Amino acid sequence: MEREYHVCTGCALLCDDIELREEENKTIIDSACRKGVAWIKNCQHPLECTVDAKDATSQDAIEKAAEILKSAKNPLIFGMGNSSLKAQEKAIELAKKSNACIDDTSSFCQGPFVEAILNDKIKSCTLDEVRDKADVIVYWGCDPSNSHPRHLSKYSYFPRGRMRQRGWEEDRTAIAIDVRKSDTAIICEDNFYRIPPKADAEFARALTEALSGKVPKVTFGMKPKEILELANVLKKAEFGVIFAGLGLVYSMHDLSPMEDLLEALNKKTDFHLMPMVGQYNMRGFNHTLFDQTGYINRVSFDGEDIGHGPQYSVVEVLKEKRVDAALIIGSDPLSSLPGSIAANLKEIPTIVIDPCKTFTSQIANVTIPSAVTGVECKGEAIRMDGVKVELTQMRKSDKMADADIIEKIMEAI
Amino acid sequence: MGFDQFLSSPEMEILIITHRDIFQSAANSDSRFSDDYANLTAIIRLDKQDMKKAGLKEGNLVTIENSAGKVVVKALQSTYEEPHPGTAYMVNGPWVNALVSAETSGTGVPAFKYIEAKMKKSKESSITSFE
Amino acid sequence: MANAMEIYQLLPKTNCKKCGKSSCMAFAAALLSRENKLDECTPMLEEEKYSENYTKLKGLISPAEEASETGMIVHEELCIGCGNCVVACPVNVAEDPKGAGSGNAPTNERVILKVEDGVVRLSNVEDCRRFGENKILCSGCIVTCPTKAIEFV
Repeated sequence: MEREYHVCTGCALLCDDIELREEENKTIIDSACRKGVAWIKNCQHPLECTVDAKDATSQDAIEKAAEILKSAKNPLIFGMGNSSLKAQEKAIELAKKSNACIDDTSSFCQGPFVEAILNDKIKSCTLDEVRDKADVIVYWGCDPSNSHPRHLSKYSYFPRGRMRQRGWEEDRTAIAIDVRKSDTAIICEDNFYRIPPKADAEFARALTEALSGKVPKVTFGMKPKEILELANVLKKAEFGVIFAGLGLVYSMHDLSPMEDLLEALNKKTDFHLMPMVGQYNMRGFNHTLFDQTGYINRVSFDGEDIGHGPQYSVVEVLKEKRVDAALIIGSDPLSSLPGSIAANLKEIPTIVIDPCKTFTSQIANVTIPSAVTGVECKGEAIRMDGVKVELTQMRKSDKMADADIIEKIMEAI
Repeated sequence: MGFDQFLSSPEMEILIITHRDIFQSAANSDSRFSDDYANLTAIIRLDKQDMKKAGLKEGNLVTIENSAGKVVVKALQSTYEEPHPGTAYMVNGPWVNALVSAETSGTGVPAFKYIEAKMKKSKESSITSFE
Repeated sequence: MANAMEIYQLLPKTNCKKCGKSSCMAFAAALLSRENKLDECTPMLEEEKYSENYTKLKGLISPAEEASETGMIVHEELCIGCGNCVVACPVNVAEDPKGAGSGNAPTNERVILKVEDGVVRLSNVEDCRRFGENKILCSGCIVTCPTKAIEFV
């Protein structure tokens, strides 16, 4: 019997081997992790269709949303990390039409690395290459065991791959660099390097020095010998990869320490870096916007030229109160942004499109429920490694896809 | 010498590092308004000695405050083998984000994973609510 | 899990042989290896004076009695469903190299470990390398677990 596999949109790993089966009137989800299963199952509090906190028809809610965006001089469109590629394209189109600022969560997380990869400043690779070839794997400032639970088992450490047939004990070395002994660091055992907070750049520079034959020095208590040993392991890799987490991103002013380290490594071997993108299609938004504007995020369509820069980031425009309305798609800034900044959303008309109730939907003027892409409707997305993946529908739903909702808002404008 | 040592619950300075937790992520997908989510998010994990210093028992409520904001969360002893005095851990969510400064020097990136704050045993009877 | 001495301390220590073992110490060892069940010590069940110790022992041993025949216990509340054990298990690799052994969903029913509804589940435990006459102390699923959700007792 041909097996039918689905793709899990619980995180940017987009695991493509999920099976569903019925047992005693219950749907059992096979092979998805705890996080994925929670994502695929219905949430306890689905979002209701409302205007000013009163129940509304979707038609009324869409018209009200259009009215808000139309009367705004400079609205903000934010989110889209949990939307299909089609919905992201529509959101960008809507931003152009409504002179909006458009930004996504990459703006305050993995943006710098994705941007560097799309501009060919950093060498990256695919997860399939990692599974088939990687022998030295570095988890730097990330903890996939909690953020991308099947990362180690499906791609980066444990599976047999084309050139890694003997299993992880003999064929692969996993290394963790972090400020704390995370669940992932526990698996790396003796190859865990603890560094102090904000010391990532210093440590990267020390490794670069070690690779060029100098004695590496750091201001924290790690011996040069230890750093030299690590540099040696990295140098001897046939195919190496650094998985860069938010711990690494947040601790650097710019990417130069990592760019330099990768350059030094690639003089001796074949080394790559991949950012640990969280939301399942954050990278999709970055690619889509990049194709259209040359920028991955923080874009303003207000005025004749396309504006870009930190001044158009979701954090700065909300903090400086430079937007007069907001459309939030599949994101919960009231939960994920600094409280004092997110609070400014309460002062402007806000529209939320989401499958579930969120802290932000609680303060929104218009809420429109959407289907979970890859669960309640199909679509396409870009995996954390830049590979395009087809998403199937797992169960019937009468909820609209977010792409259709945005399309309808545009029509109403 | 200050008076701190004579108080049963002195205020102390801590550095908070945030991280992800799969059980909290799963609860987040299920419902942001459940006890489960609050119980897994509105917590701070402290070093054993720091618990003692602040006069805290497992599960006591603490008030954490800095120039960005103030929250009441539950204090638990961390399970890390190595001691980490002065550093505490919180799971990413609205509680810790209330303490993240809006100051970014114009970069658009707040310091989500490096939060300095003062902490003391709380007189409140429940954690801060965001509903 | 308790050791044999801890179990022995709670037994009647009368060496009455009603359980079929030569001594209470032998019975303690048999309980540990799950050869015997606690209720086969009839004096403990029947005599009032042992009731407190019986409750204590029950608490000590019951996790083991619930375990599979290999002594494997999955602590579901700790399991994150990452599947590290699924791909690391040598039996899984041998029985399903392209599926479970390559990090993907199992493609047949012969695997021992698989993830269902976000938590690892056991099947075909008799094929576990810790089972049977030629058993070995394989620990593939334990050392790869980030949350210590798998235990052998």
